[in-house]
Amino acid sequence: MSGLSAAAQEAIEAIEAGPQGPTVGAFFDLDGTLVAGYTAATFYGDRLKGRDVSPAEFLRTVVTAVDGELGGDPTRIAHVAFSAMRGESEEAFADLGERLFRSKIAGTIRRESRALVMAHQRAGHTVAVASAATRYQIAPVARDLGVEHLVCTQLVVEDGQFTGATDGPMLWGRHKASGVRAFAREHGVDLADSYAYGNGYEDVAFLSSVGHPTALNPHRDLRAAAARLGWPVLDLSDPVGGSLVAAGRTAAALAGMNTGVVAGLAYGLARRDAHEGRNLAVKLATSLPMALAGVEVEVQNRERLWTHRPAIFVANHQSALDIPVLGNLLERDFTIVAKKEARWDPRTFVGSLVIDPAWIDRSDSASARATLDGVVERIRGGTSLMIFPEGTRSATPVLGPFRKGAFHLAAQAGVPVVPIVLRNTGELMRRSSLVLNPGVVDVCVLEPETDWSVDDMSERIAALHAKFEETLARWPA
Amino acid sequence: MSAAEDFERWGGAAAWSVGAELTSMQTLLWRAERHPVQSSTTTVVIDLDRAPDWKRFVAATEWGTGLVRRLRQRVVDPVVPTAPPTWADDPTFDLGYHLRRERVSSREEMLAQAAQVALRPFDRSRPLWEGVLYEGVPVEGGEGAAYVLKIHHALADPLGIVQLLSMLQSGRRAHTARKPLGDEVAAPVGVDGVELAVAGLRADVSTLPDLARTSVRTLGHAAVRPQAVVASALRYGASVRRLLTQTERPSPELSPRTGKKWTFLTFEAPLEPLRTVARQGGGTLDDAAVALVLGGLRRYHARRGSDVRELPVGVRVSLDRADDLGNRFAQALISGPLAIEDPVDRVAAVRGEVLSLHTERALEVLDAAAPVVNRMPAFVGASALRTAVPPDAFVLTLPGPPRKRFMAGAEVQGMYVLGPLPGAALTVCLVTVGDTACIGVNVDASAVADLRGLEECLAEGVEELVSAGR
Repeated sequence: MSGLSAAAQEAIEAIEAGPQGPTVGAFFDLDGTLVAGYTAATFYGDRLKGRDVSPAEFLRTVVTAVDGELGGDPTRIAHVAFSAMRGESEEAFADLGERLFRSKIAGTIRRESRALVMAHQRAGHTVAVASAATRYQIAPVARDLGVEHLVCTQLVVEDGQFTGATDGPMLWGRHKASGVRAFAREHGVDLADSYAYGNGYEDVAFLSSVGHPTALNPHRDLRAAAARLGWPVLDLSDPVGGSLVAAGRTAAALAGMNTGVVAGLAYGLARRDAHEGRNLAVKLATSLPMALAGVEVEVQNRERLWTHRPAIFVANHQSALDIPVLGNLLERDFTIVAKKEARWDPRTFVGSLVIDPAWIDRSDSASARATLDGVVERIRGGTSLMIFPEGTRSATPVLGPFRKGAFHLAAQAGVPVVPIVLRNTGELMRRSSLVLNPGVVDVCVLEPETDWSVDDMSERIAALHAKFEETLARWPA
Repeated sequence: MSAAEDFERWGGAAAWSVGAELTSMQTLLWRAERHPVQSSTTTVVIDLDRAPDWKRFVAATEWGTGLVRRLRQRVVDPVVPTAPPTWADDPTFDLGYHLRRERVSSREEMLAQAAQVALRPFDRSRPLWEGVLYEGVPVEGGEGAAYVLKIHHALADPLGIVQLLSMLQSGRRAHTARKPLGDEVAAPVGVDGVELAVAGLRADVSTLPDLARTSVRTLGHAAVRPQAVVASALRYGASVRRLLTQTERPSPELSPRTGKKWTFLTFEAPLEPLRTVARQGGGTLDDAAVALVLGGLRRYHARRGSDVRELPVGVRVSLDRADDLGNRFAQALISGPLAIEDPVDRVAAVRGEVLSLHTERALEVLDAAAPVVNRMPAFVGASALRTAVPPDAFVLTLPGPPRKRFMAGAEVQGMYVLGPLPGAALTVCLVTVGDTACIGVNVDASAVADLRGLEECLAEGVEELVSAGR
């Protein structure tokens, strides 16, 4: 689970061994290639839920879709959808795209597709998403992957509203191929050296326009064609969905966590040592549930977790799983900073009893500073602090910008910063999911950094951010 | 080219096409023939640098027909279609009926006469070929000749014809005294239609238990996994529908077609630049040939002020791996883009269209249907062949002899294949002869308003591809 599959690794090595530089193109189809499933279905599902769809439109959509499946014109379904959008505001639709990306589509980006995109980016290739979808579906995904170019179907917008028509043909089948060829001419891309990835039977013309086509998780008709044409087929794993077993194990893990907390606190009461009781509760409450859920942690440079205590531990944040994983790693004598609003949240209440967070009131800066003063005192007293400098969970493994708070605290308290890079916690437990899947979490503890001061703080933070990115891009063996 | 190589190749010709029965596809074409609209006649025009000695020419043909038995056999049909038609030696074979010579004063006259020969139906009770040697065709520095050979599809498809001719021609100008002779095969003589029908019926009855067993097994599978069977059937049906319907309508500039007026045009081009353009577009010579024809038609449509952007083109798709010209291939339609100006880009677009056909599971539909259709009255087969949208042009590429060849002492300077016009306005065959591409075009003259214009446009299309590859 932790690494890439052998096939994906091989494909990446081939990219690294091949020609480098911007004259080499890499074209990725969106639906079914970069993301598992259809983004259009997500958009339509949202329309259905919002009751925007009249029964007549629904019927027409279904009939057109079935007709497309039965050998009719498969692009008609899209034109039905486009004409239904007539009069809608472009801005509102773009916002919807962003919202659906965060809530649904981000979680369907294939991890190994992302790795392929990154391999092409490292090689300096001109990377583009080439899809029949509209930019409202593609742009958030492309931005998340750091892909600048889109070759896609353009909708006509007048006075900020859709007219229901497309500008030029829908980039499907042959039109996608000619779109890619036109893009290549415009950007000086040599197609014979270029790469393309697609999954549908309509992608043959698109794939055949480059020298290195790959059928990625192909549908059965493309699979048959790829065999005939001698094209490589690459089957990548889909993002893990919550299985029933995983759900059961998650429930067990939650129960384990509570048992651990209660047991630890009880021990503390019995021994009249609340401090040791809390430490034991942390240990039990993090290791029990992970064992029950089947999550293992593989740590590089574990000794660095202990050489510089007290310290401020900073980690990247993707998943609710990050907190138990870090709790498990840090084991004892640490706490976290949490926003005050979360104090009485029933989901975190029990946990906060154990960990005794430093509550911070973000609405009142005077009080916030006062709390922080208290925190500095606690750090000096020997309690380490755990902070996610991105501030919030990222929708995808892409690293967000770092805020400065953690580093100010390090400067004030005169303690080092210990950076912890987490990989694939977001894979095992998706951002908005309640289900934890079994697997291995990769952790890499970077070199602790001491002597923080306000003077060169921004540069050091930027350098540290770069180190996180580098570690995520090329996981140390 | 040594005599030994000739000897070996001629030995191969003797083994050429020896099966007794017609294949189901040949049967379908044989039974469905409605001359000339649904003709199965292919004509080959061979340009010769001089008029060969007539006696030597006749002797060579005599020898060739002895070597390749098929050329002295006729098709025997069962009285009811319980069995495929079969080949039997024609006891009345007379070379004089099949081979003659005539004089013309120009190459145009020869081509016009060849078209007339091609339009006349075969005598279906005799061997299915006819050859005319035209003398008096002017060539550079003297008088050349042209051999026009007309062959029925049941005897050989265009690919087979070119192969056969390549095998029979000589590598040397001089006469070869010792030539291999065909084995004296005890060929079926006196086969008659009634016997064939009865034998076929008997064979059908004897295979009935097997057939029943297979049907029960198939039904059993279907009963166990009805969803999979239905889904698979629907997917197949969808593919058939896409193959038959999803192309452009035929161009109004290439209509109305009667199929009754054939005009033969020929063009030649150096092969290497064409291969270069094909490579640049990521395609094969076949794709370049289609792009070349589209380039000509693009010019013709522009000249006529028509705004047609795409037109249906019939191409050949290999049923095995994409790039080998194996023996199994299907005829299918692509929509040929007329709007693309750049020849390399056009090759790439054609390449994409052709490769896309490989996702169609029903590509073999006509092959698959032929055995069933053949058991029905002939008009069923005839209409089956008409179900698909007719293309504006059929385009195919055929590999001819790789080096200089001779026929009875005359050097072969070009070999042009002119195929039938089953509903199409143009049939274009590109034959590779040495380092030259010989392009033969059969045009339905009733469908083209400006025949001279079309000829000029096609010539410009050839020139455009050649200069793009230089």
